[in-house]
Parts: sequence; C-alpha cells; structure tokens
Amino acid sequence: MMHKTAWLIPVLPLLGSAFHGLLGRKAGKAAVTVVALGTVLASFALSLLAFFAAKAAPGHRLDLVYGDWMAVGALKVPFGLVFDPLSSVMALVVSGIGALIHLYSVGYMWEEEGYARYFCYLNLFVFFMLTLVLGSSLPLLFVGWEGVGLCSYLLIGYYIETDYAPAAGLKAFLFNRVGDLGMTMGMMALFGAFGTLTVSEILAKAGHLHPETTFGLLTFATLMMFLGATGKSAQIPLYLWLPDAMAGPTPVSALIHAATMVTSGIYLICRLAPVFVLTPTTLTVVAWTGAATALFAATMGLFQRDIKKVLAYSTVSQLGYMFLGLGAAGFAAGFLHVFTHAWFKALLFLGAGSVIHGLHHQQDLFRMGGLKAKMPVTFWTMVIATLCIMGFPGTSGFFSKDEILYLAFLKSPALWAVGLAGAACTAFYMWRLMGLAFWGEARDHHAYDHAHESPWTMTLPLALLAVGALAAGLLGIPKIWGGTFAIEHWLEPAVTFGQVHAGEHAEHGSHALAWGLMGVSTTVALLSGFLGWSIYRKGTASEEAFAERNPLLYKVLANKYYVDEGVEAFILAPTRWIANLAWKLFDVILIDGVGVNLPGAVTRIAGDFTARTQTGRVRNYALGMAFGTVLLLWLFLK
Amino acid sequence: MFAIFALITLLGALSVAFQKNLVIAGLCMVVTFFGVAGLYLMLSNPVAAALQIIVYSGAIVVLVLFVIMLLNAHEEEAAARTHPVQRWGSAAAALVLAAGAVKVVLSSGFASAMRPMDIKGPMDLNRLGIELFRGHLVAFEVVGLLLLAAMIGAVALVKKDL
Amino acid sequence: MTSLTPILQGNLQGYLMVALLLFVIGLFIVLSRRTLLIQFMGVELMLNAANVALLAFARARGNDVQGTVFYLFIIAVAACEAAVGLGLVVGLFRLRQTTDSDRADALKL
Repeated sequence: MMHKTAWLIPVLPLLGSAFHGLLGRKAGKAAVTVVALGTVLASFALSLLAFFAAKAAPGHRLDLVYGDWMAVGALKVPFGLVFDPLSSVMALVVSGIGALIHLYSVGYMWEEEGYARYFCYLNLFVFFMLTLVLGSSLPLLFVGWEGVGLCSYLLIGYYIETDYAPAAGLKAFLFNRVGDLGMTMGMMALFGAFGTLTVSEILAKAGHLHPETTFGLLTFATLMMFLGATGKSAQIPLYLWLPDAMAGPTPVSALIHAATMVTSGIYLICRLAPVFVLTPTTLTVVAWTGAATALFAATMGLFQRDIKKVLAYSTVSQLGYMFLGLGAAGFAAGFLHVFTHAWFKALLFLGAGSVIHGLHHQQDLFRMGGLKAKMPVTFWTMVIATLCIMGFPGTSGFFSKDEILYLAFLKSPALWAVGLAGAACTAFYMWRLMGLAFWGEARDHHAYDHAHESPWTMTLPLALLAVGALAAGLLGIPKIWGGTFAIEHWLEPAVTFGQVHAGEHAEHGSHALAWGLMGVSTTVALLSGFLGWSIYRKGTASEEAFAERNPLLYKVLANKYYVDEGVEAFILAPTRWIANLAWKLFDVILIDGVGVNLPGAVTRIAGDFTARTQTGRVRNYALGMAFGTVLLLWLFLK
Repeated sequence: MFAIFALITLLGALSVAFQKNLVIAGLCMVVTFFGVAGLYLMLSNPVAAALQIIVYSGAIVVLVLFVIMLLNAHEEEAAARTHPVQRWGSAAAALVLAAGAVKVVLSSGFASAMRPMDIKGPMDLNRLGIELFRGHLVAFEVVGLLLLAAMIGAVALVKKDL
Repeated sequence: MTSLTPILQGNLQGYLMVALLLFVIGLFIVLSRRTLLIQFMGVELMLNAANVALLAFARARGNDVQGTVFYLFIIAVAACEAAVGLGLVVGLFRLRQTTDSDRADALKL
C-alpha cells in the first residue's frame, strides 16, 4: 500500500511548484496559497503514514523500488525510495516544518510582488529536499543535493532588484560547488570500493570490513563526502556563504538555512554512518572541524548588529556541534541535535522575521528595543527558543547539546573545552539579541510606534514550533535522567544497518562524570547568558564602551576575522588575475586570434585572390578549359 | 584535289577568325562549309556533301546572318577594355593544341596505314535509307522529338509574352 | 618522318590533320572573339571538324553507311543547337542591348 502512495511524498510539492511556475500569476494569490499549503500538508500526511508503515515493517525499513534509472556496466542505480528510522524522521521534519513555514510565508510574503514565484521555489525546494532524504541511492540523493542547492540559490537571490541578494546567491552556489566536487569524488571512490551506489548495498558490504587505520580508499571517500557536507552544511572552510545567504526572505532562512538544507551534510554522514565508523581518521577530522567551527562562528556572532546575521552565525556554530557529535561517533546525538535544532532555530528565525516584519524591514538590533510589550507572542516564543539553544535544563537543546559535549569529552577533553567555550558564547550572544530587541527602551521611536504583532498566519507557526521545540527533547532524555535516550534506540537500525560488529563498542564513562559535565556546561551557559542579558537590556552604551577600550578585538570580531577580505585578497584576486591572463592569452590571442581569425583571414585573402579569376566572362572560363585540355594532353602524350 | 579543298576550308576558317565585319565573317563560313563539302566528295560520300551544303550553308548560316541583320550588329562592339592576356593565351593554347595534334597524327602508324581511297564505290542514298530506317528507327524518331523541343524552346526564349 | 605526299593526296592522316586544324581554329575563334555570333560560328566550325574526322574514319574502316547515319544525327543536333543558341543571343540582346559576351558577366562576384 505504501508502494502506491509513497512516491507522491516528493512528487506532490513538485506538482505544486509546476503549478505556481506555470499558472501562478494568472491563478491569483488565493489559489497559490491553497496549492502550496495543500501539497506540502499532503506530503506531511503521507510521510506520517510512511513513518508508521516503516515502524511496523521488519527491520523498521521499507525499500521501495520504482524501476531502473541507470544501468551502465557494473553500475546499476534504481529509482527507489527508502523509509528507515533516519529518513522517515527527516522526511517528517522537512514536510512538517516545511508546512509550518509555508503557512508563515503566506503572512510574511503576502505583500510581495513575486508571491507565486516565491512559492514555486519553495515547493520545488521541498521536492528536492525530500528526494535527498528519501532517495535510496547516492545518485538520487545527489539529485536532491544539487536541487536544494539550486533552490537555495534562487531563494537567496529572491530580491532580484537589489545588488547584494543575487551576489549572495551566487556566492552560496559557488561554495556549494566546491563541496559538490568533493561529494562527486567521494561517490566515485565509494563505487570503486564497493562497486555499487545503492546505500543499503554499500552498508551491507561495509559491515564485513574492519576499521581502516591507515589512509586508504575508504578514508579518502569519507573525507571527500565530508568535504561535500562542509559545503552544504557551512563548516570551515566553506562556511562563508551562509551569513550572506540571509539576503533571502526570512522564512527561507528559517527553512533552508537553518532547519533543513544545511543539515543535509549531517544527514549524509548519518546515512553512511557504518562507513564512517570504519575510518577513525575521518571521524577525528570531522570532530575537530565541527568543534572549531562551533567556537569560531560563535565568536563571530558576538558583535553582529544585524539580527539575522547573529542567527546565521549561530546556525553555523550549531551545525559545528552536530559535526562534533558525529565525529565523536555519536550519530544519534548528532542527529538528535539536527532534530531539536530544526525546531528551535526555525522558531528563532521566524521570530526574528516577525520582528522584522513588525518593524517594517528593520534588521538592525541597535535600532530595536522594548518590543516585549508590543509583540507578546513573538517575545514569549523567542524566549522559549533562546532557552533551548542555550541549553536550559529540560529544554530540547539541553539534551542534545549535552549529549554531544559528553561524547566529545569521552573522545578528547580538548574537544569538550572548545565546545564549552562555544556554548558560553552562544548563550551570551543569544541573550544579547534578546536584550537588545525586547528589553530596554525603544531606540528608534518611529519604528517602535508603528510596530505591531504579526497576523495569525505568522504567530500560529511560532506557537506550534515553540511546542515542538520544547517537546523535541523528549526523544533524547538521557539514561541518567531516568530516560532511555530513545533516539539512539530508534535510530539503531539505520546507523548500524548491515553491521556485523554492531553493539561491540562498550559504554564507558560514569554517571558522576556525566553529572559533572552537565553541571559545568549548564552553569557556564546560564552565567554567560545572564551576563549578556544584564548588559544589553540597558542599551547599547556598554558595547560602545567596550569597543573603545578594545578597538582591535572588537573590530576583528565584528568584521568576522576579516575572512571574507582574506578570501578576496588571497584567493579571488589571484584567481581573477589568472583568469584574466588566461583570457587574454588563450581566448584573445590563441583562440580568437590564431584559432578563429587567422584561418578566417587566410580564407578571405585567398578568396579575394581567387575571386579575381571569376570575371563572369564566358571566354575566360573557356580559356581555362583549353589550358586544362592542353595539360591533359601533355599528361597522356609525354 | 584534296589539298585544294583542305586549303579552302582552313583559309575560310581563318578569315572568320580575323574578320571584323560579321556579315563578311558569315559569308566566309559559307566558303568553309563548301570546302568541307568538297572534302566529303573526296571521301566519295556525295550524300554527306549534299547534306552539308543544304543544312549548314543553307539553313544554319542563313539563320546566323538573319540574326545579325535582325540585331543590326554588323561590326564587333568596342571592347570595354582590352584583354591581351586572353588573346595571347588563347593563341598559345590553340598553337600548342595544333602542334600536339599534328605530332599525334603524323606519328600514328594506324592512321597512315589506312587508305581511304581503296573503297568499292561511292556512298548511295538507297543504302543510307535502308540503314537509317531499319537499324535506327527509334533514334530517328527521337531526333524528330528533339528538333520539336528545340523549336519550342527557341520560340519560348525569344517570344516576349506567350 | 613519313613523306608529305600521301598526306597531300588525301589519305586518312590528311583528313585527320584538316579536321584537327579546323577544330583548333574554331577553338581559337571562341576564345579570342567577344561577339557571341562569331563565337557561335567558331562552335559550328569545331562541330564540323568532328564530322570530317568521323566520316574519314568511317570511310577508312569501310563502313561509311553507319558513319553517314551518325553524321545525320549530328547535323540534326547541330540544327537544334543553332536554333536554341541563336534564341539565347536574341534573348541577351533584348536584356542588355549587346551581343558582347564579356558584358554578360552577371556571374561575377
């Protein structure tokens, strides 16, 4: 029964997208709204059905094959969807949060000119994201992977009349291309190692292997896959595009650049978890990259003035935590953070969008203030989200982040220390944001006077997401709290699929250690959060004072360590120089000159020359024939 | 006798080549055709000689002269510009070809061995008629069609509006 | 080198010689004269040269009936050619008011 309806899960949003693209402008906003919401909600409903069907299926797994896609030599790629604990949960997140954000977008984008265009892209994104999540083979996953990159590009550059938005879209696209190259090479290496690109077959074959301690083919493949993941999930060194991606509409930032697309890198690694387990080198690289990104991005977020930029750096930082978890072989913990982060970060972005909407596109934190009374729903939901992200005990972020930090400590205390510093920064800048936006006095009275709470289409998703953000943690209540860490149990069939040696790694660490680490990180987060709130709730004066006292540090942090400028000076400028040289040397001289114009000139000159013999006079032609006859006679008679 | 007729033929042809006046050139053509007819007589082929005089001297040259008169083009028009290259080139080509032809003919043992004079008797119309209508009837009819087509074609070319 | 006497008396070589020289003169006329009518005469001379050679060969091979039949057909085709060719000359004169073949140079680039 699932076989007949499951393919509709990704296809419905595609049909919706086609509708908006082809007929959207004529059909009107009401029809676009109904179709956009309807298709995504239907996808969500079908995903729920598939979720329960997969749960009931043997091995918690449904493999649906719809026919052959490619069969070239040894390579056979089927058109198939797979529902296992991992992909069915992810599909629920994509379609569920996607549906909420579609609803929110109706309110946020109602006034916009390109309403149908926006929903065309957004539905297309849902289609590609679901393809990525549900695809049973790496090539199909890659189709989704590229497709979400395309939609991300289109949606970042949605405000085409501005200068910066298309440029930001291009930047995202280019950074993603670098990652995609790694992804492609990783796929080739995996094909070389296993002779197949179907995920279940790869995992089944990998299950018989022993960990690779030297640098071999598998390590190369997984490292390349990780490079692809850094591109999509904005990790060092390919994180630069994500802050710029905030040029897109805010719901897009929430859906694509916080909740779903940017987590596809983590999803990819979870998907191939049994292979990654075999390569400890890669896992170490993943862990350190994640930890470094988590701290680095968090410090950059400390002094941003744009509310969305703060959240963007926060996203980069949180993605770093997820990779840290994966690197510590805590796939369940990493994925739990994906899950919880999807809820509270989408909520934060939508809350920020609500603030921006209420203040008529004011994004500067220094011009907000005192909105607590004006926008109560937004305020309270934002408070919940902030508590989640800082890891307030009992909230979803607390469980996931703490599990990651605990596993990081087991791998290496240094990783834990870096992660803890990042967590402190996170709590600080989040409460700085809250303090600047909602407490204190209004610093821009004009905007403040016109501020208003958003319509119900925007506040309803906020409320639902807030409930989700609080409840999501229930999946991950650790054993020491009397829970079962349900997510690990649930994901077990997916991350250990086909594993012969599954369950051999023993739990180490004690309850006392777990309690101790939890206590330390919670205390640190609460203290720095309180610090941020108490400083900034009074206004911006203290930050200005700090900038005067430490001009160098402040400038470096506010300007994001000048990485963009460094890329410009050391990578882009030489590239442009070389490209210019190559253009002048190869294109202008070699190809245009020697290759194209020279033969042209020779032909033209020769033509001009021979054209002189074409007099148009019969006699001249006849004379030519006579000479030809003479020549023939001479040849025959000589 | 052969040498006389040959001389008449060639001299007539040469005077056509160098005659400026078109009417006189046309008359020189008649002389040449008469010389050719004489050559046919020397080949003891009176039928061909008669045809030559009737068709060429009679019909074709008259047609050419008629066109000359019609177009009122007695003299060659002044050249737009002189073409010494063309003139000397054609002279050279003609001379080389003539020399080559003479050399080939003189060196041919086959041609010198054959003696056209020792033949039973002159060509007669009776034999020709029998051969023509027994052996080549279809070809004869086709030639009739060809002449018709040529006539229609000529009329179509010249007539202003049909 | 054979003696010239049998040639002057009119053996096959003599006829062929006359035919070839007549052909070359005709060719020279076509190449060196500009007036279409004269060039047309040159073409007729070349055709006649071919006829002379044909009949001479036919006589030498002792089967002159066949040769004469062929000659008849050639004359018929020549008559067609004359009719169409002169038609073309008149047509050109109508179009360009000239019988100079050098002025009919629309084929020029």
